Amino acid sequence: MLVQFYNVSKIYPNGVKALDDISLKIDRGEFLFLMGPSGAGKSSLIKMLFREELPTRGQIFVASRSIVRMKRSEVPKLRRNMGIVFQDFKLLENKTVSENIAFAMKVVGASNRDIRQRVPEVINMVGLKGKEDCLPTELSGGEQQRVGIARALANRPLMLIADEPTGNLDMETSMEIMELLYDINRKGTTVIMATHARELVKQAHKRVIMLERGRIVEDTPNGETLL
Amino acid sequence: MKLSNALYFISEASKSLSRNRLLSFATIMTVTTCILILGMAVLLTLNASRFINRLESDVQMIAFLDKSLTKTGINEVQEEIEKIDGIKSIKFISRDESLKELQETYGSEYDLEATLGKNPLPDTFKIEAQNPQDVPKIAEQVNKISGVYKVNYGQGVVERLFQVTHWVRIISVAFIIILAAAAVFLIATTTRLSIFARRKEIYLMKLIGATDWFIRWPFFIEGIFLGVVGSLLAVTLLALGYGALLQNITSMGIINLISDMSLLGKVYLSLVATGAVLGVMGTSISLNRFLNV
Repeated sequence: MLVQFYNVSKIYPNGVKALDDISLKIDRGEFLFLMGPSGAGKSSLIKMLFREELPTRGQIFVASRSIVRMKRSEVPKLRRNMGIVFQDFKLLENKTVSENIAFAMKVVGASNRDIRQRVPEVINMVGLKGKEDCLPTELSGGEQQRVGIARALANRPLMLIADEPTGNLDMETSMEIMELLYDINRKGTTVIMATHARELVKQAHKRVIMLERGRIVEDTPNGETLL
Repeated sequence: MKLSNALYFISEASKSLSRNRLLSFATIMTVTTCILILGMAVLLTLNASRFINRLESDVQMIAFLDKSLTKTGINEVQEEIEKIDGIKSIKFISRDESLKELQETYGSEYDLEATLGKNPLPDTFKIEAQNPQDVPKIAEQVNKISGVYKVNYGQGVVERLFQVTHWVRIISVAFIIILAAAAVFLIATTTRLSIFARRKEIYLMKLIGATDWFIRWPFFIEGIFLGVVGSLLAVTLLALGYGALLQNITSMGIINLISDMSLLGKVYLSLVATGAVLGVMGTSISLNRFLNV
């Protein structure tokens, strides 16, 4: 079991109850959609996976390690198991495609030799060959998100966490990005994706967890009953 | 630390320094000013305290003895005085010696003994204290010994001198602390700006799994660089200025300034080290707020 939530609640200091007694399990190799209206708790749930937020109550395990009991100094190690893909890509504007990916490896202490070998690999994987030396501003939105995904994959994570990865993209580009994510999932990486895009989820036939007001209202193995 | 990481940190630091060229320059200038004033204050304090030490060590007591005291009585008094804690030396000066000394100061034109008829001076003990600050206390104890008629040490003046030197020391320390705080604040401002310029990058690094130290290092290098370069400039100016001062004043022969090169070297080195410490302090103040992700 890769991720386990036991009776997790999150109440922010301002009194907002973002998550209310959530329990769920995610297996290695799964592809999982997190759905629900804005404010349903998707972002809070995702932030707890990489311990940007701690639960107010309950227990969370990632790869059998308790996130709640984890020391601050152990957090970097936890995060190295995860690749995070953002809605707004969060690419460094002054660095090229290659440099953006190399940066992610550099900051976790990869050797220059590893970096030289791995960067072209992931650029190939996301289909950006030939764009290595472009700056993010020279790329389309879809291409920028591919860089974001390549960067998330660079350190060979156990799971890919994507928060609205297609939120800023048109339908056609979104579907291309989805194909890329399925592909990554087929190669063994667990993918957890929060999204609003019903169309994408409907076509996917993957597990869907539906959140509403901080509670899980549906958890379907292939998204059928949902829509 | 791995070499490739060290190179990376240094290149990140220098990128950030050259990106904020104007601010870096301004910070270095401010650090220079601060360390320069700090250095001047230190040199001033050192010289002043040496001067004060001289003044203080000149403080000594004269115990006047009763004229009726016999030879054994004088010895008893000496023994009593020697029992007091904190006495460095005690010297007996007989009334004849005192007169001779007095005669010498007046010159041979006046025959004091002839004028005065007989020697009016008492026998005395000249007493030095180990610590000049203890003089008033010791004098009081000596005064209680029977056979001692009076103790003289420049009452009032000495207390006044100690009061003044005490305040001079406190004020210079306070002055130095205020200046150092100003330098730290400025370095904190500069590094805060360069951290702020890179806050998205820092957030990203944290989420990717960089350790706190990996993120901190470039900023520390930047802060230390600003501190050290600023203080090196200041020390250069200070050494040149003090050297010139030393040459001029010593040749005039009025005031005796500290010219011990090994002591001055230590002062200059500690000023540069202070610059580095200020850099580290300034950076830590700014950094800790941004790393809690």
